[in-house]
Amino acid sequence: MPQQRFDQAKPFLTLALVLAAWLVVPTAVKRFLRAGFFEMQAPVEATASYVRDLQDFWSLKTRSNNELIEAGRDLVHLNAAYEIRLQQDAGLRDEIERLGDLLKLPAPDGYRAEPARIVRRDFSGWWQQIVIRKGCNYGITEGAPVIYVGGVVGRVREVHAYTSVVDLISSPGVRIAACIEGDMRPISYQGGVNPTLAPARGTVEYVPVDIFVTPAAPRRLVTSGLGGVFPANLTIGYITGVEPSTDGLFKTGDVQLEPALSALTEVTVLVPQGPAAGK
Amino acid sequence: MADTVAERSSGLVETHKGYNPRVLFFYFLIAAMLLALTGGLAYRQLASNDLYHEREKTQNQRRILVPGPRGNIYDRDGRLLVSNRPRFAVTLYLDELRKEFRSQYIAIRKAYREADDKNLPTATQMERIARFTVVQRYLDQVNRTLGRHEELDADELNKHFSQQLLLPYLLVDDLKIEEYARLIEQLPVVSPLQVYTSSIRDYPLGSLAAHTLGYVTGNDNIDASDEDFSGSDFARFTDKTTFKMKGTIGREGLEANFDSLLQGETGGAIYRVDPAGYRVNPPLSKHQPVHGRDLHASLDAELQIAAEKVMTETELNSAAVALDVKTGEVLVLASKPDYNLQNFVPHLSHEAAKDISDRGAWINRATTGLYPPGSSFKILTSIAGLRAQTIDPAATVNCPGYLQVGGRQFPCHGGHAHGDMNLAQAIEKSCNVYFYHQGLAMGVDTLAAEARRFGFGSPTSIEVPETKGSLVPDPEWKMRRRDEHWFPGDTANFAIGQGDLLVTPLQMAAFIASFARDETITVPTLEHDPAHPVQHTAPTGLRPEQRAAMLEGMEACTVTGTAKVLSSPFMKIEGLRIAGKTGTAQKQTEKGTINFAWFICFAPIEDPRIAIAVVAEGDIAGEEFAGGRYAVPIAQAILKKWNEKQGRAPAAGVGIATP
Repeated sequence: MPQQRFDQAKPFLTLALVLAAWLVVPTAVKRFLRAGFFEMQAPVEATASYVRDLQDFWSLKTRSNNELIEAGRDLVHLNAAYEIRLQQDAGLRDEIERLGDLLKLPAPDGYRAEPARIVRRDFSGWWQQIVIRKGCNYGITEGAPVIYVGGVVGRVREVHAYTSVVDLISSPGVRIAACIEGDMRPISYQGGVNPTLAPARGTVEYVPVDIFVTPAAPRRLVTSGLGGVFPANLTIGYITGVEPSTDGLFKTGDVQLEPALSALTEVTVLVPQGPAAGK
Repeated sequence: MADTVAERSSGLVETHKGYNPRVLFFYFLIAAMLLALTGGLAYRQLASNDLYHEREKTQNQRRILVPGPRGNIYDRDGRLLVSNRPRFAVTLYLDELRKEFRSQYIAIRKAYREADDKNLPTATQMERIARFTVVQRYLDQVNRTLGRHEELDADELNKHFSQQLLLPYLLVDDLKIEEYARLIEQLPVVSPLQVYTSSIRDYPLGSLAAHTLGYVTGNDNIDASDEDFSGSDFARFTDKTTFKMKGTIGREGLEANFDSLLQGETGGAIYRVDPAGYRVNPPLSKHQPVHGRDLHASLDAELQIAAEKVMTETELNSAAVALDVKTGEVLVLASKPDYNLQNFVPHLSHEAAKDISDRGAWINRATTGLYPPGSSFKILTSIAGLRAQTIDPAATVNCPGYLQVGGRQFPCHGGHAHGDMNLAQAIEKSCNVYFYHQGLAMGVDTLAAEARRFGFGSPTSIEVPETKGSLVPDPEWKMRRRDEHWFPGDTANFAIGQGDLLVTPLQMAAFIASFARDETITVPTLEHDPAHPVQHTAPTGLRPEQRAAMLEGMEACTVTGTAKVLSSPFMKIEGLRIAGKTGTAQKQTEKGTINFAWFICFAPIEDPRIAIAVVAEGDIAGEEFAGGRYAVPIAQAILKKWNEKQGRAPAAGVGIATP
C-alpha cells in the first residue's frame, strides 16, 4: 500500500525536484538554456512563417485576371505617388543639408530601414511582444525603434541570430519621450497593463496643465524626437482624456493605440547608423 | 511454584492508591507555571499591545513624507503672479542596489586578497568603496546619455546612505527639458535610476511686486498634520522612522503670511524595511500629496506693472501704493529697488544676496519705509483746523514768504511770497505760511489727536510686514524721549508734515483713501474679495462746504498748482478729475539734506474709486526734489492705466509685458 502511494506521488516529487534544481542553477546557465531554446525554436517559427507567406501567395493566385489587373493598376498609381514623394523628399533633404552646411550643424543621425515579417505574436496583460524574422543576420540592434505605416510599433528588446523580439508600445516596459501634435513640450508615454480581449492602451504622464483633451476631440500623440531613440513625428496613438494629478503640476491621461498593432504582418526596423549607432 | 511467581508479580506491579502528595505538589507547580506563562502572554498580547506595536513599527516600518506643491497666487483679475514649475532630476534609489553593493564588495575584497595587499581596508571602508563604485557606474550611464561630466561626492553619498537610505539619492539636478526627454526614453522603465519631479516656485512676471509676493525657502521639517494619513502616529516615534523630502516655507510677503493656506498637503508612503533598513516593496500605505489652495491677491498686475515701469525709469529709491477707496484692497504695492524673485529658485546664491543687500533692496519701502510726509500732510492739518473751527475756508492769511516763530524764521514753500491765501489756494499752492498759522492756532494736541484719529502712529494691519515705528510726535513724547520741551516751532513744523513726524507710504495711501470716502480709517488688505465689501468707519466730521473747499484746493493742485504737470498735454488723463497734494520733505543725513518727493491723490473726485500715495527718495544732497517732478509721474502712470481699464472686461490670464 505505501509503495503504491509513493508511485502515485512520483510525478509531483519529480516536478518539485526539477523546480528545486532550476532554482539553484546559476543564472548564466539559465540564460544559455533560454537562448538555446529560442535559437532552436527560431527555424521552426521562421519556416511556419514562410509557409504562411506561400499560402497567401497561392490564395492570391486564385484571384481572377481582372482583379489582378485592377490591383496592378492601383499599384502603379501608388508607385507613381510614392515616386513623386520621393523626389520631393530628396529636394527637401538637399535643402536641409544646404542649410545645415550654412549653419555648420553636425550631420544628423540616420537610420537604415530594415523591413521584417512578423513570425509570432505574444500578447498578455503584462507584456505584448512580437517576434520578427530578422536578427543579427541583418544587423538589427537591441533598442532599435520599430515602425509601420501607421506609426510606432515598439522597440527591439532581444536580438537572436535569425529573429528578434520586439516590445510593442502597448507593453508596460516601453517608455517614449512623446509630444502632442503641434506642441513641442515633451511628455512621457508608457504602455499600460492591458486587459485581455480589450483594445491596447497606454498612458501619458507629465502632460502640461494647459493641455485639454476630451474623448470627443482626441489629440494625436507623436514621438518628440528628443529622446534620441525614435525619430520625430511618428504617431503613437490618440490621447482620449487627461486629468490633473493631485500635485497639480501635470496631467495624466489615457492613450488609445491603433487596433492594427495586433494584426500587423510586416514592420520596419530603423537600425541606427552613424554616431547614433554607438549609443 | 506458581504461587511464588504470583507473589513476585504482585510485588512488581505498581498500584495507585488515591493521590500522592508529592505528585500533587508538582501538579500545582506546573499549573502555576502554566498560569504564569498564560498570564504573561495575555499581558503582552492584550495589555502591552500598543507598546509592542509601536516597537514593531519603530523597528520595521519607515515613513517617507513628500511635500504637496504650494498653491498659486493670482491677481484680482485672475492673472498668474506666482505658480509652480516642475523641476526634473535624476535620482538613484540606493535601497534597490543592495545586491549590487554586495557583489561589488565581494569583488573588491577578492581583488585585495589576490593582490596580497598589506594595506587591506576594513570591512566598513570596503563597503564604502563598493557603494561609491556602484553609484559611480550609474552616474557614468547618466553622463553618457546626457553628455555631462557630473562627479560624485563620496561624503555626501555616505551621509545619504546612513541617514536617508529610503529617499532617492540625487545624482543630477535641474535637468533641461531635452535631457529629461532623453532620460525617459533611454532609461529602462524598471531601473534604480529614475527621473524625479519636484515643484519649485515660478514667478512669470519676474520681479513684479517682489516685496509684496515674498519668497519661499527650503523646509527640511515638513509636517504631516492630516489625521487621515495612516502614518501620522509616526510623529510620536523617533526621527529615524520618518524620512522627509525637502519642502518649502514662505519667508516674506504673501508667501509667509498666507503660508498655511498656500502650503500643500503632505503625502507619502509607509514601507516595511528589513533589519538593515532596506525597503521591502510594495508600500503598506500611500497618501498622495495635494496641491495647496490658491490665493487671489488684491493686486492689479497691470497697474503694478505701470507703476514699477516708471519707478524703474526714475532710477530712484521709491514706493507707491494704490488702494481701492471703497474696499481698502491694495491695487499697487511697489517698492524700488527690488529683486528678481526668479533668483530665489531653487535657492538664492550668496552673490545675489549680497547684491540685494548692497542695493538696499531687501526693504519694502511701501510698508516699512519711514518718511516725514512733508506738505502732503497739510490735508490732515486742514481737516484738524476745520474740525477745531480754527480754519475758516473763506478767511485769508497773508503770506509774505516766511513766518517768524520765536527766534526762528520759517520759510514758505519755495521761499516765495504768496500774498493772501484762503484754504483752497493754500492747498493748491502748498503755502507753508498759511499752515504755520493754522497749526499754531489749533495747537499741537489737536493736530496730533487728529493724526491719530486717521490711523497715523499705528500699523495699518495689512497682511505683509510693516513697521511699528511710525510716529506722531507731541510734547509728552518729546519730553519722554529727548527730555526737551515742545516749542511753537515744533508745532509749525508738524503742521507742514516736517519735524519728527514719520509715516509710511501705505499709511498715507490709507489716509487719503479714508478722506476720499469722507471717513477716518481704511484698513488695507491684500486679499481680494470678489464680493467687494465696502469699508465704513467713523466720518471725518467735516461739513459739506468745508470738504468742498478742500476738494477745490486739491483739484486745483493737479490743474494749476504744484502738481499741474498732471494737466500738461503729455500727462493729462482725459475725463478724469483728480484731487491731489504734493509734498517735499527733508531729512538730515551724513551726506547732507536729502529730499523726499511725495504725491497723494484720489480719483475721480465725484465718485472716488482709487487712492494713491507715492514717495521718491532723492539721492543727491541739496538737490531740488519736488513731488510734482518725481512722484506725480508714477501716480499718473497708475491712474492712466486704471482709467484705461474702466469699462473694459478684465483679460484674465493674458500675458503682459513686465517693466
